[in-house]
Amino acid sequence: MTCDELYQQLDPFFDNELGLAEAQKVQQHLEQCAACEEAYASRLAVRQALQKPEVRFATPDDLRDQIQVELSKKVSPPRRRAWRVPAFEFPNWLLPSLAGAAAVLAVWFGSKLFLNETRSPNGLLATVTAQLVSDHMRSLLPDHLIDVVSTDQHTVKPWFAGKLSFSPPVYDLSDQGFKLIGGRLDYLGNQEIAAIVFQHHQHYINLFAWPKTESTHFPDTTLQKEGFNVYGWEANGLIMWAVTDAAPDALKTFVDLQKQKQQQGGTE
Amino acid sequence: MNEEEKLTRFETEMLPLMSDAFNLARWLMQNEQDARDMVQEAYLRAFRFFSGVRGETGRAWLLRIVRNVCYDHLKKRKVHSSDEELENIPDDSSPENQLQVKSEVEAVRSALASLPEDFRTVLVLREMEELSYREISEITQVPIGTVMSRLARGRQQLAEVLKQMREKDLV
Repeated sequence: MTCDELYQQLDPFFDNELGLAEAQKVQQHLEQCAACEEAYASRLAVRQALQKPEVRFATPDDLRDQIQVELSKKVSPPRRRAWRVPAFEFPNWLLPSLAGAAAVLAVWFGSKLFLNETRSPNGLLATVTAQLVSDHMRSLLPDHLIDVVSTDQHTVKPWFAGKLSFSPPVYDLSDQGFKLIGGRLDYLGNQEIAAIVFQHHQHYINLFAWPKTESTHFPDTTLQKEGFNVYGWEANGLIMWAVTDAAPDALKTFVDLQKQKQQQGGTE
Repeated sequence: MNEEEKLTRFETEMLPLMSDAFNLARWLMQNEQDARDMVQEAYLRAFRFFSGVRGETGRAWLLRIVRNVCYDHLKKRKVHSSDEELENIPDDSSPENQLQVKSEVEAVRSALASLPEDFRTVLVLREMEELSYREISEITQVPIGTVMSRLARGRQQLAEVLKQMREKDLV
């Protein structure tokens, strides 16, 4: 990739609008080219400047009431204002109609920045996170969660064996509150990856796994995106990413249990 | 859906988006009073056409209306205003403002305010509202490729203006 070609893709890369393959090429170029890396850094600086909450203009306190009064005049007969919509504001688009708990989390985390945004360049990490979060959200649509329904790790693991070139670790953690409920094939870019599905109370956890290649390296990463909590790590030549609407401490417990099992090896 | 139900649904879905609507209008109009008027007009217009949009589309839909209302007024302002009147419009990027030493936030605000409308709009939508290229393309009614190039040039210009401010010790 030449610098000119990179320049065409720098903004879409920065904005997570590239496919995984293209994003990887851009990432590789950035790692080798100081001038382009500088252009990337300048975009990051602009973003950080503009995303300071004080740069936004706050809505005047009385505007909402004023607009509600004007709106009610458009309805005949004009209604008497008996109630007031609470001044509770977070972006609606964060909320596909998931569990109510996701809503609470979205509010809780709404004001926090994407944690790793300051690590440069992290376009690839952001791309992976965005794709896996969207995989997770899609999996919550009716009939999308599970291809093989089983609470038995000895059923789920062989099911993957017939479909993937690698063998993802499948452990039932029911005793610890994380019930194995099945598995599914999913995609990261064009690559087929394993999604192992757990249930924790009323929350689902998608544990994604795919083989590590030499060109990628993911240190342990924890972040939240669009109200979902994400934890990524490497184990035994695989990259594992867990995505869930469960609380961060529950996710951490889950990940620690997975790591423990993986270190012990075997399927028990 | 009767009018009363329509209003209730509209308010439930659209009022929570008011801070996004106001921020966009404020950045486009460059002063608070006009921004208030535009947001109100946009909400009334949106209510007329409302038939129950939801989630992601609802936000982009409302912001498109806000942007259109603002642009209509900016066009009229350009046609009808004499130069004198234009000078009287309070503007964050007026020269007196620029000569004072600014806080970091004021500097960023006046740098963004100094950019051409098209660039300012995509930067507000992308960096502050965190919308996707597709949504920005719907709101600004230009192709995604144009969104991309406006973002690239807007970011460069903004970085350049901020750099100049720092060099002149205005920050």
